[in-house]
Amino acid sequence: MRKLDDRNIDLGEIIPELDDHIIICRCEEITKGEIREAVHMGMFTMTEVKRLLRPGMGLCQGQTCSRYVRNIIAKELGVSPLEIEDNVARPPMRPIELQVFGNEVESE
Amino acid sequence: MKRYHVIVIGAGPAGLSAAIEAASHGMTVGLFDENARPGGQLFKQIHKFFGSKEHKAKIRGFRIGEELLAEAEKLGVEVHLNSTVMGIYFPMNKITVSNGESTTSYSGNNIILAAGASENAIPFDGWTLPGVMGAGAAQTLMNLHGVQPGKRILMVGSGNVGLVVGFQLIQSGCQLEAIIDAAPKIGGYGVHAAKVARTGVPFLLSHTIVRAEGTESVTGAVIAQVDEYFQPIPGTERHLDVDTILIATGLTPMSKLAEMTGCDMKEMGGKVPVVDQYGMTSIEGLYAAGDVSGIEEASSAMIGGRIAALAAAAKDGYIEQNEFEKSYSDYQSSLEKLRKGMFAKENRGKTLAVTDEGLPISTNLLKHGFLDEEEITSYPGMTSRQGIHPVIECTQNIPCNPCQDACKFGCIQVGADITRLPIADVKSECKNCGMCVAACPGQAIFLVEEDCGDHMAAVTLPYEFRPLPEVGEKGYGLSRRGEEICPATVLNVRLNPVFDHTAILTIQVPKEMAMRARFYRGSRKD
Repeated sequence: MRKLDDRNIDLGEIIPELDDHIIICRCEEITKGEIREAVHMGMFTMTEVKRLLRPGMGLCQGQTCSRYVRNIIAKELGVSPLEIEDNVARPPMRPIELQVFGNEVESE
Repeated sequence: MKRYHVIVIGAGPAGLSAAIEAASHGMTVGLFDENARPGGQLFKQIHKFFGSKEHKAKIRGFRIGEELLAEAEKLGVEVHLNSTVMGIYFPMNKITVSNGESTTSYSGNNIILAAGASENAIPFDGWTLPGVMGAGAAQTLMNLHGVQPGKRILMVGSGNVGLVVGFQLIQSGCQLEAIIDAAPKIGGYGVHAAKVARTGVPFLLSHTIVRAEGTESVTGAVIAQVDEYFQPIPGTERHLDVDTILIATGLTPMSKLAEMTGCDMKEMGGKVPVVDQYGMTSIEGLYAAGDVSGIEEASSAMIGGRIAALAAAAKDGYIEQNEFEKSYSDYQSSLEKLRKGMFAKENRGKTLAVTDEGLPISTNLLKHGFLDEEEITSYPGMTSRQGIHPVIECTQNIPCNPCQDACKFGCIQVGADITRLPIADVKSECKNCGMCVAACPGQAIFLVEEDCGDHMAAVTLPYEFRPLPEVGEKGYGLSRRGEEICPATVLNVRLNPVFDHTAILTIQVPKEMAMRARFYRGSRKD
């Protein structure tokens, strides 16, 4: 079994790191420490971390921070970042106001 | 719903080229871009492009953008600006676009993704402070809005973006304190590094940014040396007095739209759609061109866009198969020329010891950004002789040959393989026209008269700074590393329209400085 699929693995105590306070997701102001904690709480995928903390749900939709969130999760789990599946891309590409989203105009 | 034969997403070099190619075959084209202005990054590229004539070499990027835009408009391409593509749907071949007030859907028989890339950020202590920004953002401020990003700048990253933007910062009057890179060698073209180095900017390799200082905005930077695992070495930290930190550590393809369609993706410095030789993804009718399908540069993006549109035109019967094959093979060979040389994909990450000619590659250039005086005589462009003659300080195999076309007197030869080093032909007579000096996108050509009598020499150099010095003005000759090494007198300043704003400066220096003085600084220092 790949380490990633085993939800029962013990990641051990979370050891504070010097740069835990650094913001990783600028848009939603989420720190490295918060992401590490989420992994230790059992969030092993980008999607889970995103649902808990919202990195990648702000203005840039993860274009900036995704790779770092992914690297942090991978490091905590001791796997290659390539084993961590990226966030699912889905519309809308950019944050959009509902009144704009709802105001559909037919193209001629 | 409005239907186009071709929808192009992104109006940068790849997208504009794709739109032009498709429209030229009679297809209806809708070109969508989320920005207020078309051109992608082209309109802020004020430097002369590399390549050969067919790649629009020695033309400044923004002029290429103007040309493409005019051509697209002439061909009836419908350009939708401030139009963000929110979603893309297959097999309906549909996109949904928001203009900030409403959303509208369009469909296209073919959709070409040319969304480009975004700048990589690096998280470090203080990276969210005002004053830390992408190098590309700084370039936008300077070249599109006429605003200096700061006064004293630290550039993080020595790839071509860091080097080109670094030079433009100096041109705009900023003080570039240093260019640092975690790698042990300079990542971009040696000629780009050399033109920065000769103004006196130091390169600090194997260095990283540790911290941005300041509470409200950047008031300083702390950098440190890194070990072989790119980790800061304790005790090597040092403070730099800067107010702006620019990040030029690569680009990530903006491939989310591709991913949304469900087409096959792969990892290549970020996710990119898997494409065939024509740029077609695993979904029929969906193409990708330019940085979105793998980071390259504008010249290859333009050809990539053309190829994708050409393939779409052939698929839908807008061109005959034989016409398609002919055009495709022309574009492909043009593309291959750009993908050769020591910076080609297959050489990435390698440290080459010798050039294609078997000459040792300058390690000083890779480590410090300038050629060592001991090294200069080993290259075919740097010959010493009587009378005025070109000295071509081009020592890396990069795809570029405008110097060869610029000289009408046969003094400079590159040959058919445009990555070869230029050769200064000692038998041809230099007429001192200055065309090669102005044409070289790397600003690496000098005209030198090693002995003009009275123990003096004359050095002619490219000069892209304003205000221009006046004839007769006295200042200093600067070495390749930017040190004031001798007094210099301005003998001549030429600004012919054909030089396209590159002034050709001739300075008089002591004879022994003929092969050492490579830049001029007026005595009035600011």
